[in-house]
Amino acid sequence: MILAPIRSATRLEDYEAAVESACARIAPSWPLDQLIAVNPFWGWIEKPMPEAAAELQALQGSRLLMPRAWYREQWRAGRIGAEHLRKAIERSAARCSVDYVTEQFAADEAQPRRTLLTDVVDAGRDTVHKMRWTDFVTQHISQLCASYFDAGQAQLKPNRERGLYAIWRDHAARDYSPALLMALPGFRALAQGLPQDPRALIAQAVRTLAIPREQQESYFTGLLLSINGWAAWCAYLRWQARLAGRDDDHILHLLAIRLAWEWVLYESGGAAYWRAALAQWPEIDAQARTAQASDWLLQEAVENAYQERVAADLVVRPAAQSTELQVQAVFCIDVRSEVFRRALEAASAGVQTLGFAGFFGLFLDYRPLGAADARPQLPGLFAPRLRAADTGVPAATALRRERRLQVHAALKQFKATPVSAFSFVEAIGPLYAGKLAADGLARTRPAEPSERAGLTPDENTLRKPRVIGPTTGGTLSCAQRADAAAGMLRAMSLTRGFARLVVFVGHGSQTANNPLAAGLDCGACCGQTGEVNARAAAALLNEREVRQELRTRGIAIPETTHFLPALHNTTTDEVALFDLDELPPTHCEDVQALQGWLQAAGARTRAARAAKLSLSASNDEETYRSMAQRARDWSQVRPEWGLANCAAFIVAPREHSRHIDLTGRAFLHDYRWQDDTDFSVLELIMTAPMVVTHWINMQYYASSVDNKRWGSGNKVLHNVVGARIGVFEGNGGDLRIGLPMQSLHDGRGFVHEPLRLSVFIEAPRAAMDAVIDKHATVRQLVENGWLHLFQFDPELGTVHRRTRAEWIEFGSATRA
Amino acid sequence: MTAFLKPTEAAIASLTLFVPLAYAISAVIAATRTSTRLATVWDRAQLAAGSALALSVLLGLAVATFGEVSLRLVTIVPLGPIGTLSASVRLDSLTAVMLILVSFVGLIILRFSRSYLDGDPQQPHYLRWLMATLAAVTLLVVSDNLLQLVLAWTATSLSLHRLLMFYPERIWAQIAAHKKFLVSRAADLSLLVATALIGAHFGTLELSEILPRAASLGVLPPALQLAALLLVLAAALKCAQLPFHGWLIQVMEAPTPVSALLHAGIINIGGFLMMRMAPFIAQAELAQTLLVICGTTTAVVAALVMTTRVSVKVMLAWSTCAQMGFMLLECGLGAYSLALLHLLGHSLYKAHAFLSAGSTVEQWRRQAQTPVLAAPGYGAWLAAAAGAMLAVVAVGVLFGADPRRESALWALTLIVALALAAPVLSIAAGAWRGFATVAGASVGVAALYFSWHALFGRLLPVPLSAPTDLQLTIAIAGFLLLYLISAAIRAYPQGRLAQRLQPHLFAGLYLDELFTRFTFWIWPARLRQDARGFAAPAIAASRHHAFKQEISS
Repeated sequence: MILAPIRSATRLEDYEAAVESACARIAPSWPLDQLIAVNPFWGWIEKPMPEAAAELQALQGSRLLMPRAWYREQWRAGRIGAEHLRKAIERSAARCSVDYVTEQFAADEAQPRRTLLTDVVDAGRDTVHKMRWTDFVTQHISQLCASYFDAGQAQLKPNRERGLYAIWRDHAARDYSPALLMALPGFRALAQGLPQDPRALIAQAVRTLAIPREQQESYFTGLLLSINGWAAWCAYLRWQARLAGRDDDHILHLLAIRLAWEWVLYESGGAAYWRAALAQWPEIDAQARTAQASDWLLQEAVENAYQERVAADLVVRPAAQSTELQVQAVFCIDVRSEVFRRALEAASAGVQTLGFAGFFGLFLDYRPLGAADARPQLPGLFAPRLRAADTGVPAATALRRERRLQVHAALKQFKATPVSAFSFVEAIGPLYAGKLAADGLARTRPAEPSERAGLTPDENTLRKPRVIGPTTGGTLSCAQRADAAAGMLRAMSLTRGFARLVVFVGHGSQTANNPLAAGLDCGACCGQTGEVNARAAAALLNEREVRQELRTRGIAIPETTHFLPALHNTTTDEVALFDLDELPPTHCEDVQALQGWLQAAGARTRAARAAKLSLSASNDEETYRSMAQRARDWSQVRPEWGLANCAAFIVAPREHSRHIDLTGRAFLHDYRWQDDTDFSVLELIMTAPMVVTHWINMQYYASSVDNKRWGSGNKVLHNVVGARIGVFEGNGGDLRIGLPMQSLHDGRGFVHEPLRLSVFIEAPRAAMDAVIDKHATVRQLVENGWLHLFQFDPELGTVHRRTRAEWIEFGSATRA
Repeated sequence: MTAFLKPTEAAIASLTLFVPLAYAISAVIAATRTSTRLATVWDRAQLAAGSALALSVLLGLAVATFGEVSLRLVTIVPLGPIGTLSASVRLDSLTAVMLILVSFVGLIILRFSRSYLDGDPQQPHYLRWLMATLAAVTLLVVSDNLLQLVLAWTATSLSLHRLLMFYPERIWAQIAAHKKFLVSRAADLSLLVATALIGAHFGTLELSEILPRAASLGVLPPALQLAALLLVLAAALKCAQLPFHGWLIQVMEAPTPVSALLHAGIINIGGFLMMRMAPFIAQAELAQTLLVICGTTTAVVAALVMTTRVSVKVMLAWSTCAQMGFMLLECGLGAYSLALLHLLGHSLYKAHAFLSAGSTVEQWRRQAQTPVLAAPGYGAWLAAAAGAMLAVVAVGVLFGADPRRESALWALTLIVALALAAPVLSIAAGAWRGFATVAGASVGVAALYFSWHALFGRLLPVPLSAPTDLQLTIAIAGFLLLYLISAAIRAYPQGRLAQRLQPHLFAGLYLDELFTRFTFWIWPARLRQDARGFAAPAIAASRHHAFKQEISS
C-alpha cells in the first residue's frame, strides 16, 4: 500500500531550503493592539501578481480578483468602457478581443485547487453527516496555538519553554478527541510514535508521502496557507525577532504540526488515494494559470479608468497663489487627511498643508507613565531607535498611577478567578443594570488611549510625551537630537520657508468596544494615535539648542516660528491642539485664527463624510452629534470608513494636487525633487511610504477579493483570542487576519473598490529608475504589477507609466 | 382562587398577559414586513420592547402594592383527570423580578442589535425571532398553568433555535444547534412527563392550586418524587449542566447579542423553573440532593476549565455554565432567594460582559501597563482563606445572620469568604494604600452581599428547608477543593499539578466529545457545507457529486 519513495533522500537538510522558502511566503500579521495593515502577499512579490495569484488559486483556492459578476456590473454601469479594456489587452501580451473578454462574464469562474491529505480523506467521507477533516484539523491546531501563544486570556497555560511542536505532540499523544469525534481510535498511538524534533518529523513525513523534490516548497506553502492565520502570527513573531537581530522558528513548528496531521491521515487510510491526488497537481497548476487570464484584463481596465481620471487632473496647471503664509500644517499621508486638508485649505488661503507619514520621521517607541514596557510608535518596517516617555509628571503621580492600576487589576481578580466569580455575581452583578443602561444609551465615553488610564484629567494634562533618549538607555546629545530633527525636516521637504506656526497633525480614531480599533489609528505609528509622535517632534524642534545646531546644518528656522502638536480625530473630524501652555504669547492670535479654520474645516469634512455613512443631518451640529454618537456607540460596527477606497499615492508638492478633489482616495506625500540633490529623499519615499501605502492598499484589496482567506469575515461574530492576538470568527476555526466585511461593504455593495495602488511621482524618471535598480523590493513591486507607477510633470503636462522594462507615455493624459 | 378576585386584581392579572403579547405582535409585524422601511420596523420593535419594560415595572409596583394574584383567563383544552390546559397568569414577586429583568435586557439587546446588524439583509428575520423568543420567555414567566408553562418553554427553545442558526451555512453553528435541539427535546419530554405526574396527583395543572398543597404534603409519594427528579433533570438540561453543556459553549456562531440573550436570559429558565416549583421541590430530598451534586460538580469543573480558555466569548460561556451550576446548587440547598439574586446578578453581568466583549483589547492594553507584583505563595493562599473567613463571619454576625437557622447561608458565606482571598492576596505585595483600598473594597463587597441577601429574602419568601448534612458536605467539600486547586495553579503555574491538569482541563475532560459522539450516534445531524466548494480529485469525484446531489435534494 505505502508506495516506495520516489527519491531516497533522507537527510533533513534536503528539505530545509523548501521549508525556508515556504515559510517566507507567509506575511506577518500584527496583534490587535498594533493592528497595522500588511500586504498578505508580501512573500510573493518576487513573482508577477497574476502568476502569484495562479499559484494561490492552485494551492488554496483563493481568487485574487473580484467575482465576474462584479466586473460585469462595472461594465454595465459604464465605469469601464471598451477603450479601457482595449488598452488593457494591448498592454498585456494577450491576443484576444474585447468581445471575447466580455463573453466570459457569463461563464462561471473556474476554481481549480490542489488537494491536501485532509481534502483527500474528506472526499471519501460522508460529510453530510460527519465533520470534515479539514475543519477538524484547523480547529485542533488553532485551539492549541491559541493556548500556546496566549498571554492575556487564559490563567492556566502549557509551559511555553518546551516549544510549540513538543507541546502539540504531548497533547496529541493523550488526546481522545480524534477518536471520539472523528472515529480515529489509533490517533493517540500514532501521535506517540511521532519524532520528538519538528525537523525530523518534516523529513519523515516528506519521505512517507513521497513528495517530489520540486513540489516540496509548494506543498509546504499549501499546508501553511491552510492554517494561514496562525502562520501569519508566527511570521509576525519572526519579523519582530529579525527586526531585533534575533530569529524565531515557531512557523517551522507550525508547519511540522500541520504536516504531522497529513502523515497521520496518510497512515489512517489516506494512502490509498494520495498517489493519484499527487499526480493531479501539475494539471491543476496548469488550469489555474489560465483560469483567470481574462479577468486580469478586466481588473486592469477598471484600474485604467481610475488612473486616467487622476492623470488628467494632475497635469492641469493650477493658478499660482500668492497669499501670505500664516500656518503650515503637516498631516499624515493617510487618505482621510486628504479630505480634511482640502477643507482646511478652503477655510483659509493662509494655510499651507503638507503630507508626511504620521510618525513624523521619529523612529520612536513609547513607554507610558510607570509602565514596564514600551510600545512601538513607528511603521512596522522599522525597529525603534529612540525612546519617548511621559515627562512633566511628578514622581508621586507616577506612583499613584501604578497603584491605581494595581488596585484595578486586583479588583478584576474578583470576577475572573474560579472561586470568586460566583460571589462576585451575587454581590456586584445587580449593579451591572446601571452599566447596561449607560452603555445601552451610549452615555459611556469612547475608549480612551490606554496611557490615560489611572490618571485624573488634571494629572493627564501634566503628561508631556517627549523623546528621552535612545531605546538602549542613556540620553541624547544635542548633536544627536539635531540629527533626528534634521532627518525629519529633510524627509518632509520642509527646510525653508517656515511659517509662523508649523502644526504637526497626527491622527487617531475614536471608537467604543471595537477590538479592531487600532486598525483605524495611524498605521505609521504602528496602530497607535499619532499624539506621542506629534508632541515629541514639535517639542524637539522648539528646543533652542536644537535650532542652533540645525542652523549649522543649513536649516534656518526663524525665531518667530513655533511648532505645535495636534491630533486629528478621524471619526469626528475634530482637531485637538496640545502643549498650548508652551505657546509663546506672541503666537496666541495665530492659534486663535487656526482654531477657527480647523472648526470650519471639520464641518466641511463632516459634510463630505456624512453621505458615505448615510447620515441624514441637516446641519453641521446634527452631523457632529451623530458622528460623536457613533464614536461612543458600543454596538457600532462602522464608526468610520477608515481607509476604504484608497487607490492612489501622489508624491509631489501640494501646489500640484491642491486643485483636485481626490475624494479621500489618495495618499499625499510632499516632495520637491528640485531640493533633493542626491535623490536620497526620493529613495526614502519609494522604499518606505510607498511600501506602507502599498501594504494598506493591498490589505483592503485582499480582504475585498477573498474575505474568507485574507479578511476577518463577519464582525458580529468576532471573538477576541488571547486578549490581543487576533480574532476568531465565531467559536473557533483559524485565526483571522485582515479586515472584516463591515469595513469594506455597507450591506448593499462594496464601499472599497479594489484597485491596486497607482503611484504618481513628480520626479525625474531616471532618478526613479535608479531607486528601482537599487532596491529589489521596489523593483519587484513595480515590475511585477503589485502597484502601478507613474511619473508626471506638470510643467510639460505629461504622464508616463512604468512598465516592466521602460517608461511609456500614458495615453489620455493629454486630454486636459 | 379566581372566583374571589377583586376587579383591580383581575385587571392587573390580565394586564400581565400584555407583556408577552407586545412582543408577539411585534414579531408578527416584523415577519409581515412588505414595503415598510427597515428603520420603521426597528422603531416599532423598540416601541414594543419599551412598552413591555414599562408595563413590567408597573406590574412590579402592583405586586408590591396589592400582593400576588393569579387568574385563569380561559380554559383551552380540558384534559380530564389531570386538569386543563388553560391561559392562566400568575403575578408574584418572582414573576415581577423576571419580567423586569427579561424586558430590560431585551430592550438593551434590541437597541444593540440595531446598529450591530446594520447592513445585514436578514434583519427582519432576526427581529422576528428575537421578538418571538422574548414573547415565549415572558409567557413562560407569567404562566400559572403548568402545561402552558411547558408549551412556552418549548416555544422559547424553538424560536431561539432560529436565532442560533442565523447563519445557517456555518458548520459549527449547525453542530451546536443540533446538540441543543436534542438536549432541549429531552428537557421538553421530562418536563411533560413531570407535568402529567403532577396533574395526575393533584387533579389540576394550576400552580396556584398545586403549590400551596405541595408545601403541606410532608413525605412525597413515589410518583411525585419521580416528577421532582424529572423537573430537576429538565432544569439541568436547560442550564447546560455537565455533560450537556457543549451546545452552550459552541453557540458563538450567532451574532454577539444572541449570545447575550441566551446567556443572560434563556439559560436561566431552568433555574426559574426550580424557583417557581420551589414549594414542591423543597419537599423532595432526593431531587434536592441531585441538584446539589449536579450543581457543585458543574460549578467546580466548569470554573477550572474556564481558566484554560483562550477566547473571550468561550471563556464567558464556560463561566455561564459554572454560574448556572452554582444557581442550581443554591436551589438544592433550599436557598431559593439567593438563587434568584444569583440569577438576576448573573444575567445583568453576563449581558454586559458579552455585549462589551469587544473591549477585551482595550482592557489588555491597560493590563499591559500595570506593574506586575510578586505572586503569593501557597501558604499565603491558605492563610488568606482563614483570614477572609473570619472577616466574613464578623460581617455576617453584624447583619444578624443566624448560623443555626440558616445553615445553607453559612455554607454560601464560606464561599464568599474564599472568594475574597484572590483580590486581596494579589495586591498583598504592593503599596499598603493599594492593599488597604482592596481590603476595604472586599469588606464592602461582603456587606453588599448580605444587604442583597436581606432584600431578596423578603422578595422571595420561600419556606427554607434545611439542607441535609450530605448536601452541605458536598457543597462545602466541592468549593474547598476548587479553592485549593486554583490556589495551587496560581502559586505554581508551571508546577506539576498545574501542568498535569492543563491538557485535561483544556480538553474539557472530553465530556462534550463524548456527548457529541452520542448525539451523532442517536441522531446524526445533516451538515450543509458552505458554498466554497473546490474541484474534488477525480478519485472521489463521483462520490463527491453524489453528496452534492444529496445536499441539493
